Amino acid sequence: MKDKKPFDFWLFITVLILLSLGLVMVFSASAPTAQRDYNGDTYYIIRKQLMFAFAGIIVMLLAANYDYRKYGKKTVMALMGASIILLIAVLIPGIGHEVNGSRRWINFGSIPFQPSEMTKLALILYLSFNLSKRKKPLNSFFGDLMPYLFVVGLISLLLLLETHLSATIIMISLSMIILFVAGAKIRHFLILVAPVAAVLAAVISFTDYMTPRINSYLNPWSSPQGEGWQTIQSLYAIGSGGLFGRGLGQSMQKFLYIPEPQNDYIFAILAEELGYIGVAAVLLLFMIFIWRGIKIAVHAPDTFSSLIAAGITALIAVQSLFNIAVVTNSVPPTGVSLPFFSSGGTSLMFFLVEVGILLNISRYSNYERI
Amino acid sequence: MAAPSLAVKKRLIFMLAAFAVIVAVLMVRLAFIQFVQGTELQKQAFVQQNRGRIISPIRGTIYDRNGKKLAISVQVATITCSPNDIKSKSSKLTPDEVADGLAPLLSMDRNQIKQLITKKTDYVTIKRKVDKETEDSVRKWIQDKKAVGINIDEDAKRYYPNSNLASHVLGFTGNDNQGLQGGIEDVMEKYLKGVPGKILSEVDAKREAIPLDTEKRIDAEDGLNVVLTIDETIQYLASKTLDKAIADYKVKQGGVAIVIDPKTGDILALVSKPDYDLNNPYALPKNVEGLDAASWVEGSSDTVNILSKSVWRDKAISDTYEPGSTFKSITSSAGLEEGIVTPDTITSDFPIKVTGWPKPIYCWRKGREHGVETFREAVINSCNPAFVKVAQSLGIDRFYSYVKAFGFFDKTGIELKGEGKSIFQAKPKEIDMAVASFGQRFTITPLQLATAYTAVVNGGKLMKPRLVKELTDSDGNVVKKYEPEVVRTVISKQTSDTIRGILESVVSTPNGTGNGAYVKGYRIAGKTGTSQTTQQDVHIASFCGFAPADDPKIITLVVLFDPKGESYMGGMIAAPTAGKIMEDVLNYMQVERKYTEEDLKAMTKEVYVPDVRKLSVEEAVSKLKAAGLNYKIEGNGNNKSIVVEQTPKPDAVIPEKSVVILYTYKPEQQVTVAMPDLRSKTMAEAIDALNRIGLNIKALGTGTVFKQQYAEGTMVEKGQVVEVDFRNTENVE
Repeated sequence: MKDKKPFDFWLFITVLILLSLGLVMVFSASAPTAQRDYNGDTYYIIRKQLMFAFAGIIVMLLAANYDYRKYGKKTVMALMGASIILLIAVLIPGIGHEVNGSRRWINFGSIPFQPSEMTKLALILYLSFNLSKRKKPLNSFFGDLMPYLFVVGLISLLLLLETHLSATIIMISLSMIILFVAGAKIRHFLILVAPVAAVLAAVISFTDYMTPRINSYLNPWSSPQGEGWQTIQSLYAIGSGGLFGRGLGQSMQKFLYIPEPQNDYIFAILAEELGYIGVAAVLLLFMIFIWRGIKIAVHAPDTFSSLIAAGITALIAVQSLFNIAVVTNSVPPTGVSLPFFSSGGTSLMFFLVEVGILLNISRYSNYERI
Repeated sequence: MAAPSLAVKKRLIFMLAAFAVIVAVLMVRLAFIQFVQGTELQKQAFVQQNRGRIISPIRGTIYDRNGKKLAISVQVATITCSPNDIKSKSSKLTPDEVADGLAPLLSMDRNQIKQLITKKTDYVTIKRKVDKETEDSVRKWIQDKKAVGINIDEDAKRYYPNSNLASHVLGFTGNDNQGLQGGIEDVMEKYLKGVPGKILSEVDAKREAIPLDTEKRIDAEDGLNVVLTIDETIQYLASKTLDKAIADYKVKQGGVAIVIDPKTGDILALVSKPDYDLNNPYALPKNVEGLDAASWVEGSSDTVNILSKSVWRDKAISDTYEPGSTFKSITSSAGLEEGIVTPDTITSDFPIKVTGWPKPIYCWRKGREHGVETFREAVINSCNPAFVKVAQSLGIDRFYSYVKAFGFFDKTGIELKGEGKSIFQAKPKEIDMAVASFGQRFTITPLQLATAYTAVVNGGKLMKPRLVKELTDSDGNVVKKYEPEVVRTVISKQTSDTIRGILESVVSTPNGTGNGAYVKGYRIAGKTGTSQTTQQDVHIASFCGFAPADDPKIITLVVLFDPKGESYMGGMIAAPTAGKIMEDVLNYMQVERKYTEEDLKAMTKEVYVPDVRKLSVEEAVSKLKAAGLNYKIEGNGNNKSIVVEQTPKPDAVIPEKSVVILYTYKPEQQVTVAMPDLRSKTMAEAIDALNRIGLNIKALGTGTVFKQQYAEGTMVEKGQVVEVDFRNTENVE
């Protein structure tokens, strides 16, 4: 691997298009909320988002030029250790910053930081590094698989303590995909699925935690002013879009009908303004991203980079498709942001760093570029 | 480090496939929401995103047949409020300040206003239909205070320029300008109302108007105008004359006057009394006895109930009554059509036996029967037995088939709600038919009778009564025309001609039962009727006539319910009322009078009284003689004496040969005489009696004295002209 190739152009362009479209949508969607919350300053949210996007592109380019093989044991373990410490720290009142009943942020100066975003990257690197260093296949559930599951379990537990259900789901899905690609036995997944399903069933039947979510999923109109509100408003927005949409900036649903329309439900605003043409284009762009990501993984020079590429692609794929599934009421609602679209500094920065790593791997991958 | 194994690559490809499937599923899901559920979701979203205020359309005008306005809409304002805007940050005024500011302008309680403007709703009405002055004051207040959330919306109010005129035909409108009370306002509602417009403003989730968003205006579509067949003038003439009859003859339960054009079925006038002021329909009716003004609460269910039963009730179409002898025209038409009788068929009014009835049927003039007479005379004299005979010859089936053909079993289908249903025996027996032949023991509406007469006089063609002539749009273009409709032909033209002739003689024969309707110069025809009711001593006097008899232009029906004056006989009170209406209407229609020789003979010339004061008696007498007047001198009869005073005064119009009283002294007061009792005197006797004591006469009608202007014993100035009504009381049914 002497000669470095140029990085994957398709992936790069796709991400830039998604990011640009994302910024336009953040501006459109955030204006009414910003006007209400920041003394009429319509540009408040987009200004911050632009700053993060700019910084994000710089770190993406830095990561793209930083040889992935330099991520050694020390780096991976330090990142993992720091993530776990921050995940614990965020739970401590006074350090962790509480928003809407969930303690998910730590404020560094005026910049809020979500440890869970960093943990996603840490977990990808941790699993990829350790799995690629193995000499023998993952044959035994308890002997081979358990150590990885323990780490995933620990992180999940900490996230559940934050009551950050969506991050937990993403973290688990992500780990499962990496383990699957790394060659874990299918029957071991079945062993895992059984107790998880049992616990889930128990939670649904015996506690009220999931009841409103399930209800609002099955019939949002039973409580249009209560738990069904977000879902209904999201469907109104998407339904109002039709084929061509109401036109850029013409969303009605962003006028406080959808709470924080620049965040988790930004896709609904996009559907309202740009119509089916718009949403199909965005889904297509994500599909191109997934295709190029997996292509990079398949042609990666080694198992470590292959697993990293698979992990990063899986992260963005799971999170984007999960978000769209929530917004379209295809799965019960939970707060998950849309990569490159939803406003939020930490998450955007990390997504772009991850894309940077992916791009870097592509430089060493052995395939024909178009 | 080794490149990833084949197993890893296989699993990566599987992962790609799995994500592709999920993407495809989401594509389908989005298509389903946007295309299948889209319309419904969009509709629901629109409802929550918009706040609508209604713009009332301008309700169509109701015109008479000549384009005179009977009901119009005037623009007023309604003050409304968007409570969410008052609550919002952009409102500089608190709800209390708004309430305090508006209360004096709208003359409302400030707490009531505050309650309204703080309601949890998009839109409330504060006060409806305020006048221009209030509107302007509110507008100024809004500008001065920079108030938000208070709107001045256009609204319309109905106004009826003629107040009471045709109140039952028109009906009135409610608060939302919707037609009420079964009149044209109600029946033609869908055409008159128009399509409301809307003022839409987009709102956010807090239901505050979205900044910088301009209101969208969807203009209202104005209602269509309704042109009636009613002639405002004819309606007025009929109404005025009916009012006078009700007062003169002490009619207790109201009256009806209908004027129809027999050729088209056009209703020219449809009057029902008592009526009400359309501009104030809920007010205490002044023309109904026994109501307490103090306890009258406008709009309460009790008072509405009273109004519905009294002034709001359209007796012309809703009340059913026994038509009595007016129905004999129908029996006669059937008999003539079937060839059972001709005008010259010999008949009689001797008492007649009917199967299944113990007592014979007599003529109304029982004991002084008219005896053997022609059928024409039997109609003129209104002899019941003669009609029983006609009916018996027809037989039950044929008789009732004519009753049906003349439309008495069906509603007329006039464009009004609340038409009464006629009542006949389900299976009539001989006796039922016998009494039905002279209009008893079944009930019909006045309109049914007037309509049936269209077939009697119009060459046999039964016309559907037409009340609406056409609909026009705001530019006056005719949108829809209602053509005259022939329901069916009931009798031949020949029969119709014959019966018209007979009915003319009922009026023109000096001793005919309908002579009270006679008008000099116009060929009036018709039939009187006096019906009993189920109530003791309550009668219904009626006359259904038409004119001119040779070419009828109008049919006129007058029905007086429960007259308690000098007479309750149709010929005595309803006939002259109908005659007067027909005279006025024909005059208005510019139908030329053609006087018969008898008319000319009977007509007294009227002259102006010359001024003879300050002249010598000799000069005064010659001047009066030249004017065709007689004289009588009070005081010194010397020819050289100077006339100081005269009665009647100069320039009064009095009949020729009247007496002018000349005073040769300055009277303290004019010499008066006691009014004599003229009852039952002939015209010659009455003139003589009055002239003898120095009174002049203005004679109305013919026959014997029926009514005198001043009661017996009233002191009247000598020389004054006294009005005296004559009627043929001898043979008036």
